[in-house]
Amino acid sequence: MGVIRNLLDNMDRAGEKNQLIGKFKPVFKAMDGFFYGTDEVTTTPHILDHIDIKRYMSVVILGLLPATLAAIYFWGWRVLVVIAVSYIFGGMVEVAFAITRKKDIHEGFLVTGLIFPLILPPTTPLWVVAVGVMFGVFFGKEVFGGTGRNPFNPALIGRIFLSIAFPSMMSVQWQTPFLSGLGGFLHYQNGVDAMSMATPLGLFRSQGTISSYFDLLLGLGSGCIGETFRIGLIAGGLFLILTKIVNWRLPFSLLLSVIIFSFLGNHFAPAKFAPPMFQFLSGGLLLGAFFMATDPVTCPMTKAGKWIGGILMGFLVVLIRSLSGYVEGVMFSIVLLNVFAPLIDHIVLDIKYPKVVK
Amino acid sequence: MSKCKTFRGGYKFVEFQGQPDDTLEEPFIPSQVNIPLLQGFGKEGDCLVKVGDKVFAGQIISRNDQNVSSPVHATISGIVSGINKTNYFGKNCLVVSIKGDGRSEYQKIPNASSNWSQLSKESIEEILYISGVTALGHGGIPSRFNSSIIQPDDVENVIVHIVGSEPYNISPRALFHKKTTQNLFDGMEILHKVIPKAQIYLAINKNKNILQGLDEQITKYNWLKIQYLKSKYPQNHEAMLVKTVLGQQFPYGYSSANIGVIVLDLQSVLHVYEAVAEGKPFIERTIALCGTALKKPLHVKARIGTALDDVIGSRIKPEIVPRIILNSLLTGAVLNDRSLSIDKNYSQIIAIPENHNRQFLAFIRSGIRSDSYSRSFMSNFLPIAQKTCDTNQNGEERPCISCNYCEEVCPVNIIPQILSKYVKRSIVDETLANLHIYDCIQCGLCSYVCPSKIPLAQHIKEGANILMEQGCTPDQCILPNFDNIKGVVESYRGIKEV
Repeated sequence: MGVIRNLLDNMDRAGEKNQLIGKFKPVFKAMDGFFYGTDEVTTTPHILDHIDIKRYMSVVILGLLPATLAAIYFWGWRVLVVIAVSYIFGGMVEVAFAITRKKDIHEGFLVTGLIFPLILPPTTPLWVVAVGVMFGVFFGKEVFGGTGRNPFNPALIGRIFLSIAFPSMMSVQWQTPFLSGLGGFLHYQNGVDAMSMATPLGLFRSQGTISSYFDLLLGLGSGCIGETFRIGLIAGGLFLILTKIVNWRLPFSLLLSVIIFSFLGNHFAPAKFAPPMFQFLSGGLLLGAFFMATDPVTCPMTKAGKWIGGILMGFLVVLIRSLSGYVEGVMFSIVLLNVFAPLIDHIVLDIKYPKVVK
Repeated sequence: MSKCKTFRGGYKFVEFQGQPDDTLEEPFIPSQVNIPLLQGFGKEGDCLVKVGDKVFAGQIISRNDQNVSSPVHATISGIVSGINKTNYFGKNCLVVSIKGDGRSEYQKIPNASSNWSQLSKESIEEILYISGVTALGHGGIPSRFNSSIIQPDDVENVIVHIVGSEPYNISPRALFHKKTTQNLFDGMEILHKVIPKAQIYLAINKNKNILQGLDEQITKYNWLKIQYLKSKYPQNHEAMLVKTVLGQQFPYGYSSANIGVIVLDLQSVLHVYEAVAEGKPFIERTIALCGTALKKPLHVKARIGTALDDVIGSRIKPEIVPRIILNSLLTGAVLNDRSLSIDKNYSQIIAIPENHNRQFLAFIRSGIRSDSYSRSFMSNFLPIAQKTCDTNQNGEERPCISCNYCEEVCPVNIIPQILSKYVKRSIVDETLANLHIYDCIQCGLCSYVCPSKIPLAQHIKEGANILMEQGCTPDQCILPNFDNIKGVVESYRGIKEV
């Protein structure tokens, strides 16, 4: 504790003397606030809630922890390296912007930096991870003015950029997970021979096979790094809802609408539309529903807007999964939800608050 | 038992450290009092004494039957030592200083008797006015002496509330010291005699077992209705009381008197009883001293005009730099000047430590004693542990992330974050009025829950003020919804707590 204090004080002093180090003041300030909190006091109201953005974001990370640990088990230690790369390179963009804007570093990146690796295929080369996260933070967030002003989920912007720029890496090669014994905890990465096992959604598209729901829940199939351990995702999501960090309306209406629309589709065109429970438990739906679509900045902010947005997004997920060239539609649906969010809110507000004064 | 009503939004503050215990310390007679003539509801009356005059406790020193005002009394016996114009809570008014002789007796109100049920309506009305009790409540208690902005005939409903929803509340048990529940009913019956047309409601906390056998007692009074409420902040605000108890719309930004509703708290009704049945002028106030900066939080009785320092000076822990707050932790004014005197509006004085200390890695601590609207601290799962209470901001100010906590807790159904964003970017126009900016009752709950530590309530207040300067006033937005506005219409914004 004292060591960190000394280090920060020394850096501060060095920053006053040396102009170059002085430019990194936002970094020191962020570190200082990160470790020691604030000494500022309230005005009116005289007391304030104990939650702050750091706590808010760390609870989200806590919710992602089961899926992250399971990812290490399934895909090996390399997952940790991927996460580290994501934090370092994304953090660099964040810091660069904070320095040029002379503003504080905001904690929102803590979540982006962890979610981004979780939605990548396990085989993604590290340099691609770095390019993707930098693109996502830059064009998904910073160009719009940083945390709180971004219209899109930055992690998804990075992911979509990679999907379009490197389609073969992003949707063709899928690794088989470690499943026996201590699995990935003892390995860095699965060998090359364990490649090219199609995802459950891909299998349905190509052969019409439906994986066992139990396998899907436990994550025995292939998929992106963090999306397969679905029990952990559900537990983490419920934890976030319990702590009020995530509003229950959006995930609830989204999952409900996925089930309803896939039921209808499956009823009329069973070859195209997978059955409801399979859709519910496959792909990135649970990760997206609990952790990405609910990003408070980019989803509709009004309560009614969350219901409408959830239903709309569920419809899009089923539509893209079943009728488009892509096997997975969660990613695009979330970005489309982000696009529609301001419009939905605008309509909701117009209805809720009819004009009093012209 | 009737149903428990409540409103949408709000937040329940539970178990903060430093709750006052029920003991009531007997009053001491200060050697000097400074009595502001502008206190309670109403304007300043004419000063009736000169420097050097000998006055009795209970003697009227200020009265004006033409103005909307109530009499003010000398609260100790002694000699008037000074009459000065002073700035009192942002308003200029005369302050009468009296050097006391240490005697505790007071002059009783003529005509008052314990046999009050025999008195005529007119004489009770006069006793109430002369005792100064009519200055209580947000709009005063109406009488034929212009003590309120409305006349007694305009009153349709009276709400008597025993609802403590603040982090710190005055304890009804302390108020009932040497009194019984019957006295409360007598107080309400006196009000009923003065305002016979009005329906009287008694609004109490659902789980307050202070009033034993209430349901049996209530059947004796056919003019009285009882309503159980949840102790959710800001239930004690008059707007929320009118909305939940009466189910009526409230003219936000105006007084409840404008729609013919008088809102009184328990202490006010007991004052009414004391004035009429015991002949006691309104010279004393029971005050809860709360907060962790005090050695022992308790209740005291103090003469009005006693300097704050005389009341709490010796009770504050010497090692602590306190912040002293009047009545409410969320909306109250800071009492920096300890020479200020106690007035008719005081019911809580809160002293909490100024906390500039930085806590190491506060954001990943379990937080057994940290109160939070979100359930991200252990305190939400261990409700027995008492919560800390200090002035630390608990985090840096950050941009809004639209988490919508502010909308969820807002008791008047507005979306503070949207209003705040408009005001922060200086886009103030009719849009804000359409988003119901004038509905804000400044309860401060949005600022309390905000994880980004944005002073939302303050932004809304600023926005409303700018909007009013532009000529888009609450008159255009609020009043047209009410066809039966009564009395002098005077909008106010900001703190006005009783």
